[in-house]
Amino acid sequence: MKIAISSNGNTEKSIVSDRFARAEYFIIYDHDALTFNAVVNPARNEGSGAGGKAVKILADLGVDVALVPELGPKALDALKAFEIKSYQYPREKNVREVLYMYFEKKLPDLLISTVKGHH
Amino acid sequence: MKIAILSGKGGTGKTTLSVNLFSFLDQVTLIDTDVEEPNSHLFIKGLDLIEESILKKYPVVNEYLCTNCGKCGDFCNFNAIIPAKKKVLVFQDLCHDCGGCQLVCEPGAITYEDKEMGKTYLQTLSEKKKFIYGNLNVGEVSGVKIIESLHKMTKNEELLLVDCPPGTSCSTVAAIEGADYCIICAEPTPFGISDMKMVVELLRAKNLNFGVVVNKYNLGNDDIYNYLDVENIRMLEKIEFNREFANLLAKGEILIDHSDYFKEKMANIARIVIGEVND
Repeated sequence: MKIAISSNGNTEKSIVSDRFARAEYFIIYDHDALTFNAVVNPARNEGSGAGGKAVKILADLGVDVALVPELGPKALDALKAFEIKSYQYPREKNVREVLYMYFEKKLPDLLISTVKGHH
Repeated sequence: MKIAILSGKGGTGKTTLSVNLFSFLDQVTLIDTDVEEPNSHLFIKGLDLIEESILKKYPVVNEYLCTNCGKCGDFCNFNAIIPAKKKVLVFQDLCHDCGGCQLVCEPGAITYEDKEMGKTYLQTLSEKKKFIYGNLNVGEVSGVKIIESLHKMTKNEELLLVDCPPGTSCSTVAAIEGADYCIICAEPTPFGISDMKMVVELLRAKNLNFGVVVNKYNLGNDDIYNYLDVENIRMLEKIEFNREFANLLAKGEILIDHSDYFKEKMANIARIVIGEVND
């Protein structure tokens, strides 16, 4: 299982991003190999439709679960279509901390979008 | 003859200039191409508006024909179509209606359907005067198609004024298309000059004739005059800022109905510009 976390930096100690699709990095945690990989987020500078593009990138990386700060309606539609589950983390934590919270089932499931589309 | 009025910066007086030139001239049509936030119509009081829907196309994917090859998603520059696991996601409001996804779809799974993206409103004031503005629906990505419709509706006009959007992006480029002359309405502030320089660059790249009206000339500083001098750009007219004009505009009044000074300025601008084009 692979878990993606939106992050400001490229390590598991970096602070999580407060934007999902326009985060600087996605940290990909591979729960089978127990490894962390940082991916520069190519969707972060999109003029429009960053949400859909970011989800597509995660799907191509084989991600099963996304830990996110918030989601717009398009990102949410895309996550559903790619069958990636999403959970909301609190702000100001680091990547490792929100990952622990996920495994302790402390992160709420995201079924409805938390913000309106940004365009 | 097509005359476009643009500025780069917002709030310099494009609409003021447009509606006053429109009121001053005897036989003229005005289009407001600032379809994201049209304002000219608020100054023009007239007869009923005739509405027309402007449609854009968006892709619809036939899932029985789709092989999920992913080419449509790779092609789309605006993330409007994204092939997912079992279906292809289409975000209608992100689509720029370019037709590309259909071209790259080998199994022919993509067709297009129409969606209203905005409206045009036509107002006939007299046999000699006509005004049309466009309005883009909320959430749509681009007003270019509405601007093109406004141009199509007025392609046979003897004299056409085009109130342009601010900025120098796609909508402004569409608005100045085919202009015989462009009037840059600038204000002598650091912000006005900075944005005007981008307009100058755009108009030179498009090889269009232009001149500058310095509006609110008694505000700001003198940098604009040095710039016009160095760049060898013609100053068409200078218009002062005063409290009375601001009050009248705030009530939606046409300035030439109240000010001989402003009327004379419009007469000068019209004379110079029409003269330049006819030369």
